[in-house]
Amino acid sequence: MSNHTHDSQKEVKVEDLLRMKRSERPDEAFWGQFDQELHQRMLQTLVKKDPVHLQIWRTLSGRFTQSVGVACAAAFLALMVVRPAFIGTGSTSVSVAQDSVVFAEAPLVEVAMSEMDVSSLEATRDYSLEGISAEIESNDASFTRDFGMEGFQLAMDADYSSDAASSRPSFGSTGVATTLVY
Amino acid sequence: MHNKCFYFVTIMATSESVTKTIFPAQEAEVSQRDLDWAVVQKVQSGNVGAYDQLVQKYREQIFSVVYNMTSNREDASDLTQETFIKAFQAIARFKGKSSFFTWVYRIAINTTMTFLKKRSRRRFISYENIDEEVSNSEIFERLTAKNQTEKGALINELQEKLNDALQKLSLKHRTVVILHEIEGLEHAEIAEITKTSVGTVRSRLHYAKQQLQGYLKDYLG
Repeated sequence: MSNHTHDSQKEVKVEDLLRMKRSERPDEAFWGQFDQELHQRMLQTLVKKDPVHLQIWRTLSGRFTQSVGVACAAAFLALMVVRPAFIGTGSTSVSVAQDSVVFAEAPLVEVAMSEMDVSSLEATRDYSLEGISAEIESNDASFTRDFGMEGFQLAMDADYSSDAASSRPSFGSTGVATTLVY
Repeated sequence: MHNKCFYFVTIMATSESVTKTIFPAQEAEVSQRDLDWAVVQKVQSGNVGAYDQLVQKYREQIFSVVYNMTSNREDASDLTQETFIKAFQAIARFKGKSSFFTWVYRIAINTTMTFLKKRSRRRFISYENIDEEVSNSEIFERLTAKNQTEKGALINELQEKLNDALQKLSLKHRTVVILHEIEGLEHAEIAEITKTSVGTVRSRLHYAKQQLQGYLKDYLG
């Protein structure tokens, strides 16, 4: 009796109310429909196509890979076939300047050396640089000392700058200047 | 030597039986975990039909959690299905580090939270029916006596108030209180599911109950 009285006076707690929600359950008919829908959705998932953005990305990435491959092949062909022909024709001014220097230097070295062996004054008159010509005139025997770093630097400053292509033929034609470069 | 072995075996056997006696819940959990893992391995090896066993086993628990979080029957049904589909899609990557039960609960809660965050407005709430057992329960008898209302009306009123009160809680607090008070999970299990510490779970639970006491004060005491 005392227990009954005690129980009836027992307070209702939050936990008691929340536990009542445990009995809030759907019936069997609900679960039948649930299983059917779930199986259908799982089958759809198995055969479902990828989302549109993934399809687009896959297509673009495939085409990009192909185009990159084609571009690489084209670039390789251009390097192998077109460039040799291009060098042969020498159609641009830069290549002309470079080639003229390359082709002009080899024979001019020989000329210059032969002139040095002779060590005539005629050769020194051709110099436009006073410092070099003065030393050559004063001391012909120390030829190697005359073409030291000072003279080399002077020649470089005066005529062999990158944008002085027009002056190269005149300077190169002296022969000695080519030797200075070397 | 033989005597020592005998004693060792006896001690081991005794300690095992003591463990079984002291920690029956843990043992049951371990065996359930093993059973689930065996089924998972079947699915992973290509027996897709075995997945149905897991669905049948956990669908009601998952539905209950999702339903109490959303307070909507249709949403709960959709989200429960989505949970099982996600779990099926990811089951090949499931390594068994946690139990399948914990793993699928985590998927359900994350799916539901994402859904609720995206849903800006509260939708029309459709309730599940409460069993007749409740109306005959001791607590309900006390409530009826206290409020002096008809049973049917009180059930509907209480159901609405409870769902409203739960919906007023934040998602984190709601999750913890549902998992502990309605689903009956331990603090450690909730901590594992929600990837928080046990202390955090206890703290959230305490706060959530305080909030609910304020919302449901008319029915308490």
